[in-house]
Amino acid sequence: MSGRKVVGSNVRKVEGHKLVTGAPAFTDDIEMQGMLYGKILPSPHAHARIRRIDTRKAQTLAGVHAVLTYKDVPRVPHTTAGQAWPEPSPYDTYLLDSKVRFVGDRVAAVAAESRAIAEKALRLIEVEYEVLPAVIDMELAMAPGAPVIHDEPDSTKIYDRSHNIAGYILREIGSVEQGFRESDYVVEREFRTHRQQHTPLEPHITICWLDPNGRLVIRTSSQVPYHSRRQVAMILQIPVSRVHVIKPRIGGGFGGKQEMLLEDICGALALRSRRPVKMEFTREEEFYMARSRHPQILRLKMGVKADGTLLANQMTVLATTGAYGSHANTVQGNTGSKVLPLYRTPHMRFECHVVYTNMPVAGAFRGYGCPQGFFAQESLVDEIANHLGMDPVEFHLKNAIRLGDIDRLSAQLGEGREGLPRVIRSCGLPECIRRGAEAIEWEKKRQAPALGGHLKRGVGMSCSMQGSGIAGVDWASAFLKMNEDGAFFLQVGASDVGGGADTVLSQIAAESLGVTLDKIVITSGDTDTTPFDVGAYASSTTIISGGAVKKAAEKVRAQVLSLASQMLETPVEKLEWGNNQVFTVCECRKSVTMAEIAMQAMYTEKLQIMDGASHFNTDSPPPFCATFAEVEVDTETGQVRVLHLATAVDPGTAVNPMQSEGQVEGAVTQGMGYALTEELLLDGAGRPLNPNFLDYKIFSAKDMPKLTTILVETDEPLGPFGAKSISEVPINGPAPAIANAIYHAVGVRIRKLPIRPEDVLRALCDKERELREEGVVIAK
Amino acid sequence: MFEQVEDFHRPASVREAVRLLESGKGRARIVAGGTDLVVDGDSTVRALIDITHSGIAYIRKRGGSCAIGAATTMAELEESRIIRGLGGGILARAAATCGSIQIRGVATVGGNLANGSPAADLVTPLLVLDAVVVVADAKGRRKLPIAEYLAVRGARAMRQSLLVEVTVPRPLGRRCGWSFQKLGRTALDISVVNVAAGLQVDAAGRIQWARLALGAVAPTAIRAGATEKNLRGRGLDAEAVAEAAEGVMREVSPITDLRASATYRREMCRVLTRRALVECAAQAGCAI
Amino acid sequence: MTTMQLRVTVNREPRKWSIAPGDLLLDVLRREGFFGVKRGCEKGECGSCTVLVDGRAVNSCLMFAAKVEGCEVLTIEGLAEGDRLDPIQGAFLDHGAAQCGFCTPGMILAAKALLDKNPHPNEAEVREAMAGVLCRCTGYIKPVEAVLAAAKQPAKRATRKRQPAGVVR
Repeated sequence: MSGRKVVGSNVRKVEGHKLVTGAPAFTDDIEMQGMLYGKILPSPHAHARIRRIDTRKAQTLAGVHAVLTYKDVPRVPHTTAGQAWPEPSPYDTYLLDSKVRFVGDRVAAVAAESRAIAEKALRLIEVEYEVLPAVIDMELAMAPGAPVIHDEPDSTKIYDRSHNIAGYILREIGSVEQGFRESDYVVEREFRTHRQQHTPLEPHITICWLDPNGRLVIRTSSQVPYHSRRQVAMILQIPVSRVHVIKPRIGGGFGGKQEMLLEDICGALALRSRRPVKMEFTREEEFYMARSRHPQILRLKMGVKADGTLLANQMTVLATTGAYGSHANTVQGNTGSKVLPLYRTPHMRFECHVVYTNMPVAGAFRGYGCPQGFFAQESLVDEIANHLGMDPVEFHLKNAIRLGDIDRLSAQLGEGREGLPRVIRSCGLPECIRRGAEAIEWEKKRQAPALGGHLKRGVGMSCSMQGSGIAGVDWASAFLKMNEDGAFFLQVGASDVGGGADTVLSQIAAESLGVTLDKIVITSGDTDTTPFDVGAYASSTTIISGGAVKKAAEKVRAQVLSLASQMLETPVEKLEWGNNQVFTVCECRKSVTMAEIAMQAMYTEKLQIMDGASHFNTDSPPPFCATFAEVEVDTETGQVRVLHLATAVDPGTAVNPMQSEGQVEGAVTQGMGYALTEELLLDGAGRPLNPNFLDYKIFSAKDMPKLTTILVETDEPLGPFGAKSISEVPINGPAPAIANAIYHAVGVRIRKLPIRPEDVLRALCDKERELREEGVVIAK
Repeated sequence: MFEQVEDFHRPASVREAVRLLESGKGRARIVAGGTDLVVDGDSTVRALIDITHSGIAYIRKRGGSCAIGAATTMAELEESRIIRGLGGGILARAAATCGSIQIRGVATVGGNLANGSPAADLVTPLLVLDAVVVVADAKGRRKLPIAEYLAVRGARAMRQSLLVEVTVPRPLGRRCGWSFQKLGRTALDISVVNVAAGLQVDAAGRIQWARLALGAVAPTAIRAGATEKNLRGRGLDAEAVAEAAEGVMREVSPITDLRASATYRREMCRVLTRRALVECAAQAGCAI
Repeated sequence: MTTMQLRVTVNREPRKWSIAPGDLLLDVLRREGFFGVKRGCEKGECGSCTVLVDGRAVNSCLMFAAKVEGCEVLTIEGLAEGDRLDPIQGAFLDHGAAQCGFCTPGMILAAKALLDKNPHPNEAEVREAMAGVLCRCTGYIKPVEAVLAAAKQPAKRATRKRQPAGVVR
């Protein structure tokens, strides 16, 4: 946008130098005197009671400083979900319990002088389990006679514990029955999605110690320092103000670190041993003892008129949250509230059961319920468009939500409480569709004749939207103070997990204050020295934390201008600011630098220029995304190769376009893995089969197709400088776009993820057999 | 993991290495690249014997053969002009698929063989090249055809022996064709199925000999002997190729694991064998 | 616990460290303060622990420390000279190639091993060199761009001529 100096520029990341030089900036990059190594004894059983647990041999092993079981710690029901209080997730988790509910669940914990001693100590803990029948298959969780996973009376906020239902959601706008009656074409399909794991390159890691004042310090790789502080305080029964959470650089989170996963147990070991304690997951533990994406079975039924107008959209979901309910209601709520309203359908219905199973715990993961929902919806919409002989592009343009529309389904599905109706005040979706189609050469490739031979190509598309912060719930604050050299210290609770929040927030501050970027020094994510922020999730950082930064900066700017006005003997209305100075608008162009103003304030006025602000929104403006995929299917092996993925996103204003592109590129790569190669596999006893990178395949540099990223900027009134968000929405696009491209290429629809070569081959064989049975001759 | 290791040896000769292995009483392990040993994390190991300085890292011509020291790395195989010129370069090509650059720079041919994975990528080309493995123990050195080595590799009797060389006869003759095909889930992957093939035709396009090896579809990589026999003497054409591709399916015994189902693997044997034979034919001057 | 002496040059400085025979290079380097070498999987699958040994990129999590006796090891900390960044580091900054930064040292070193041997790689060669460093943030797009851009720059300082990349023994 014209006139902006810093916002909208591809500035180098403010923390970039640290990263490219390998400076010690991550949680593990410190040495502490006397630090112990903590480890969790994981349950070998999916469902069992601990009948007897004897830790004497472990305790007397030389080098062991603490051993904890459920007998040693307070029993405080809670959720580990990093959400604003009161968390809308069941309070069904305990620091340590006498029952275990998934393979990997906590049985006990030790702190010892070395990793080897800690591992040996774990082996010395004697446990007698009463193994219970386990619920492995989510489709059997609610069946009569199914084992009850949460039979403990003190857990709360569980929808129906006797039937293993953690949460239940039902919302309807209009009447879908009426809508289907009025439709010319009604189709219903079932879709299945699977467990995807975040695989941040830095596993979960926490170091706890007691500071000289006896306060518990928690240095942790977390997206939610403030929520973790509150939760740890509650669980360990110490005051919040006696806990200090520090978030250093984080090596990736993607939602997996929107969780209090190690902080409580590590804190308990530090309190017990009175020594610093480090706990980190090995990569193997990270796969099944950390969180993963909720698997879902989605039945989707849609009704349209012959001209392509969508009349009714009904989605029924069965999801499992695994053994504990963190994010159970809210992820699935999103599957309804962010997905169905993409279309201006008069009749919508969303119903969802979220059940417990004795399986690894699901949690927040980029997209937060949307990848599942959009896979189903965008695949079915493609099927409908094809049936009607309509170009999917045309179908989307006809039915998609538009500028000025009101999304009423969101009003019914807020984060655990009545949400607020969503008004679309900025919408670049039609432009995203047009430019994405152009980038993939849609028109040409939709008509292209089939290649000879065993390789077939096709193109497919999908659209999606997300949110920008949780309306009425997500909030942030920021604090600024001025230094003698005209630089400002910016203190934000916001948690940069790698997406560039520190840089973006600095840009917003610099733009508002009229200074160059080097004049902002940012501290983030320290509960002692930075003010509150819900944390990095729900695509809230730019819009909500940025909103707080802008407000705080404007308040500080007012103080600066007030003093400058005195110094320049000119009324404030006749002043302009920029480039580290304040100057008069009249011809004489008197000016004073920020440094001069600071010195005047500090040493003449004896005034510290400083201020802070809090911010939240009552709406969640959606970013929009159109994804186009070109694939090549090897009909002999079933392998699907993505040739080109074009993603066009409307993020509002892109505060740092280069960082925005990076977010898109990373998100679609995870989306392609979700579509084609990634799956956390467990056996019939709930044991992980592939908790390693050898067999849990994420894309490497050699797997990447051509990526095109297009930013379609709009101006969102609710966002700082018009910004919305970008970090999640692109992950929703690849799975359905690829599935639709496969259909275009070879005429088979795969409705389960991931789409493995075997699945494609089987579908091709089935299709060939069907055609043969119908007497169709297949030309080779 | 290896806190209990008491000694790290770097013997300068095979004799010394073997002696250390003997005296280790079963608790000594040979380490070359370490890419399998470290991952396996066997905490009973008490001594490590690093054989990368024991004089067995070489690639040289020796008469009608190519001698490859067991401590030769994948990267060296990939980059060697001798190996690239050997059997259509299939060994070099296979070496290039053995993991990332970081792995290939340290992983060795000896390690790949000794680890005994049925999916080992170097094994199928070596089977097709009729390689011979040289092992050394206290009693001296002996040679084993590679198929025999694969059969006895895990036996107790082999525990005190060291794989020191892989000898590959340099194939002679014109109108030869070679191929290596690998199927993985992503670009860097352990083989779901791999196939190596080599053949020679006469001036009339009749197959003089054919060798077909398949990996990850049986307890060890195998040669498809019956299929090879059926190809001998036939004209190399589409029909022969299709029949051979069907034939290998009967000679393999794939399992279902988390990477792929047995059915899929069996079907991929057919597909990869056909592709391998088509590539061989092209090299041998017979277009199919 | 037995110990042994390890003599190794790290970032151009000779070091003499007391190690256990079974110590892994990753653990030794981090213990000695080289925090830029990251622990991501301990199985040689993610490449976050990549260091250069005699010019070759290796996974330090799979390498027994004793194996680098007499070798030259380069970690990310040894790349910049004072304030002067290596061209690859500068390119990563200019192209936004570092997001969370955890895999960044591994990527930069993998790129350095490539460019020292092959100063003008094509895109496929760059991808091959980087394939052993997994990244969950970037989709590899900007890192590959950065390496190609760095390859186009004239060497900003004289680099010591290396032998054709020595093989790690």
